[in-house]
Amino acid sequence: MTFPVDLLSYVRRMSRVTTAALTIGLACGASLAFAQCGSSPTPHTASQTPKVVASIAPPVFGGPDVDALLAKAWAARGVTPSAAADDATFLRRVYIDVVGTIPPPEKVTAFIADTSPGKREKLVDELLGSPTYAEHWADYWEDELIGQARAQDIDRFALRLWLRDQFTKNTPWDKVVFSLITATGQNTVGGERSKSMGEAAKAIAASDTPINGAVNYVLKFRDTPQDWAGSASKTFLGVQIQCAQCHDHKTEKWKQQDFQKFAACFMRAQTVPLDGPMMKGLKRALVRDIDRPLPRFMKDNDLAVIGRATPTALDGTAMGGTLRESVATWITQNPWFAREAVNRVWAHFLGRGFIDPIDDIRPSNASDAPELEDALAKDFTDHHYDLKRLMRIVALSRAYGLSTVPAQGSPQDTKVPPVLWSRFRTSPLGPNELLDAVIDATQVDDALRRLGRFNVEELTERLRTLYGFVFDVDEEFDRPTFEGTITQALIGLNGRLIAGGSTALPGTAVARVARSEMTDAQKVEALYLRTLSRKPSAEETDTWTKYLANPPALSEPDPTTKPPMRKNGGNRGKGQFRPRNPGDPLARVNERVPETRDPKVAAVEDLMWTLLNSSEFVLNH
Amino acid sequence: MNRRHLLMLGAGGFLGALLSRYSRADGPVRPPKAKAIVLLWMNGGPSHLETWDPKPGHANGGPTKAIKTSLAGLSVSENMPHIAQMASKLTVIRGMSSKEGNHQRAQYLMHTGYAPTPTVVHPSLGGWVSKKLGAPTNGLPAFVSLGGPSFGAGFLGVSNGPFVVQKAGAHPDNVAPETAGDRFARRQALLAQAEQRFAQQSASPMVDERRAVYGRAVSLMGSRDVGAFDVDDETQAVKTDYGDTDFGRGCIVARRLVTSGVRFVEVVQDGWDTHQNNFERTKAQLGIVDPAVAALVKDLDQRGLLASTLVVWLGDFGRTPRINGNEGRDHYPQAWSCALAGGGTKPGLVGGTDAGGEHVAGTAYGVPDLLATCAKLVGLDPREEAMSPVGRPIAITDGGQPIAPAMA
Repeated sequence: MTFPVDLLSYVRRMSRVTTAALTIGLACGASLAFAQCGSSPTPHTASQTPKVVASIAPPVFGGPDVDALLAKAWAARGVTPSAAADDATFLRRVYIDVVGTIPPPEKVTAFIADTSPGKREKLVDELLGSPTYAEHWADYWEDELIGQARAQDIDRFALRLWLRDQFTKNTPWDKVVFSLITATGQNTVGGERSKSMGEAAKAIAASDTPINGAVNYVLKFRDTPQDWAGSASKTFLGVQIQCAQCHDHKTEKWKQQDFQKFAACFMRAQTVPLDGPMMKGLKRALVRDIDRPLPRFMKDNDLAVIGRATPTALDGTAMGGTLRESVATWITQNPWFAREAVNRVWAHFLGRGFIDPIDDIRPSNASDAPELEDALAKDFTDHHYDLKRLMRIVALSRAYGLSTVPAQGSPQDTKVPPVLWSRFRTSPLGPNELLDAVIDATQVDDALRRLGRFNVEELTERLRTLYGFVFDVDEEFDRPTFEGTITQALIGLNGRLIAGGSTALPGTAVARVARSEMTDAQKVEALYLRTLSRKPSAEETDTWTKYLANPPALSEPDPTTKPPMRKNGGNRGKGQFRPRNPGDPLARVNERVPETRDPKVAAVEDLMWTLLNSSEFVLNH
Repeated sequence: MNRRHLLMLGAGGFLGALLSRYSRADGPVRPPKAKAIVLLWMNGGPSHLETWDPKPGHANGGPTKAIKTSLAGLSVSENMPHIAQMASKLTVIRGMSSKEGNHQRAQYLMHTGYAPTPTVVHPSLGGWVSKKLGAPTNGLPAFVSLGGPSFGAGFLGVSNGPFVVQKAGAHPDNVAPETAGDRFARRQALLAQAEQRFAQQSASPMVDERRAVYGRAVSLMGSRDVGAFDVDDETQAVKTDYGDTDFGRGCIVARRLVTSGVRFVEVVQDGWDTHQNNFERTKAQLGIVDPAVAALVKDLDQRGLLASTLVVWLGDFGRTPRINGNEGRDHYPQAWSCALAGGGTKPGLVGGTDAGGEHVAGTAYGVPDLLATCAKLVGLDPREEAMSPVGRPIAITDGGQPIAPAMA
């Protein structure tokens, strides 16, 4: 038997370290329960009334002294951390990272004005307890688990609703992963795909047959158990065994046999289709376990080899009984499970995990701060894999509150990633975060609702698909450079969502501000608070108030050029409707919105457009 | 560029410079013929028995009849009359074989030449071409995909990925400005100011990087060749030749784009996954694809562009020679066909399958070999490597050998 000896002893060494005594500091701040708080952040899905849900186990004092451990690591490397970021910066950051959107403007002013000690703790607890937290993390994990999969038997909404439920309840993470890997039952209600989450939730609630949304994760891999094994190992343990599928791993000690034995654990989930192949819409299927490898895999030479291997976990532990339960238990009880979760959360907040990429834990990829990583992993394990607790610890650390500007006396070249998180990193907003931020800042959804003819939830869902495709961001490893595409830039420059949001359509924030009785300076401040979540500097106020007071004249539309693009078409008189932007869900927003003729209104629109296209808006910093 | 000019160049330093780039112990040195690649992507896996490799005498052949073509030795499905008429310009490779029968994995393999692994995202051939040959100076991107997302450039960065136009023949999304020209220019200036401030305050290098991408987008908007994306000024005769279909229009756009310096254009035709009703459906598919492909190759030839444009006809895999219970064929990577034209290829029939179309007879060529051929024809060394983020060098092809009989 050729299981990797080095790896096994490494794993055992890790366990010993985590059980060693560690300093446990007291978390500062007085608030205990992060669930019982006041208002939650404004959700933009109007179908859900905001409600606050108590988590299972409110956190108590305790947790590792992250600041002390990191300070020790800094001292050892002679690293000078940056200064702390200001309140507004911290507020925006933590909103984006915890609930996936920007803070409402009234929250910004309130937080800046609040002088009470422990206001950051209170803020973090409030965010962790809000329904937007569950929505954001369900989105994150839906993307992580099934990517862009659009097979006919994958009901994304059902999976997303199931995930939301887990995050609302703060189900211990080991139980969530166990339920995902072992999911059985029916995947969907079937029939035409729901156009919005609200519709899907109603259909599931009304269904006579219980629906298990988690089954949709299993269905992604119904044809490829070898990919499932590789993906589960990577996502939940941080172990990249997939290379060993075809040949002995080039750099680590995995052998092809080890891969085959591990992948054998994933070959007994049978999918029974309940709808025929000619059915349109979502196809229902039943997933259950059988006691031998699926016969159809045994007909494929490559998969048959895997099917004949003895199911064995990566460290040599034999798997038996219901294999999926056996391997799911092994995965979630493995010390690397906690380590991978800690890396993932740390990387999400701080921009780079203890190891990089986060799903590549191996002896030859050393941790940047082993003591701190171990302390967090131990705390996570000891407290029933409580994700909210872990996030709270990370969000309230000193490192998370640092500025992006390098400290005096430390390397000034920001193209090089900071050593040991000694300054905060800038990174692009993910697609859902960006979309939510645009919608929340502009209130363009209100404007669309007012027009009365649109199903805003459905439109939002289609925008999510578009943005998800165009703005896809790979969180798995640290990307110090900005990798934008021309398509992304074009969406910012000319896309209908940004355009609509920066036009004084009734219901938008721009319309309200432009037509209000506020002074120009107040208008500028209102829009800065709305988009950049801060007050403008004196210089900015000066520049913009001058622009608003003496706005440039608007040119007359040139009658010899093409008709203004604002109208639907591009039909150029050929009498045939051809949508101008066929891929853009807002292309059908067929409203004749003439460009404003009022230069003062136009100036406010220009300000909004500039803010929405600025790097400060589009980046997390 | 006329022939005399080319000869003069060849005699001098041009060839000399190329010699140092291409000299290898194993082959004669040739300057690259192709400047651009057009990939006609048959999404879903087109049945080889209903296209390039019909078997009318065999049970596997089903009802599909074969017709002779202008290429000696080549018969194709009766539903490809236009292609049959101009096949003397084509290189048809019947001896292809691969191992991926799953759509996602097969599509990845066909575009990148590698089987997918979670450790690295391999660049597609389009990504390599974009990186190595570069974008034209007129603001158009190097790599365009029409009608499908294609595959990106992986670790070569998104700037080398495809510019995607969902509906071929229409103006690309968001290229026309939302506001009047002078207002757009004013907004650019206001944005530049705000960006400068933020770059200073945050010390973030991403601001400049983002400005660069915006700059390229604005160049595209203002490019004098942005009209290459739509077909409005083509004559009705041309539009009829290519067919009034998205794919047909896509082929016209592909010709226009390569004329304007775009290096890699992918045109997608979906609908080839014929598990049921294979015969009727492939006939319908060919009704769309046959006239368009023939028109494209002939059009390029007439315009003197065929020698410098490599056209590739390719899909996920072939389909099962034994017909299933639904009058259909299922996934079959063991034997399939693809076709090439132009760009330095040698017209002819390469390789073949056995009587039932089930196994390759003689030499079997793999996907890395096909991509090595394409790479070589555009002047890239298939063994050239780039460093992936995990510290592993990745070559353009996974050990592929260019298919000698396919190259002039």
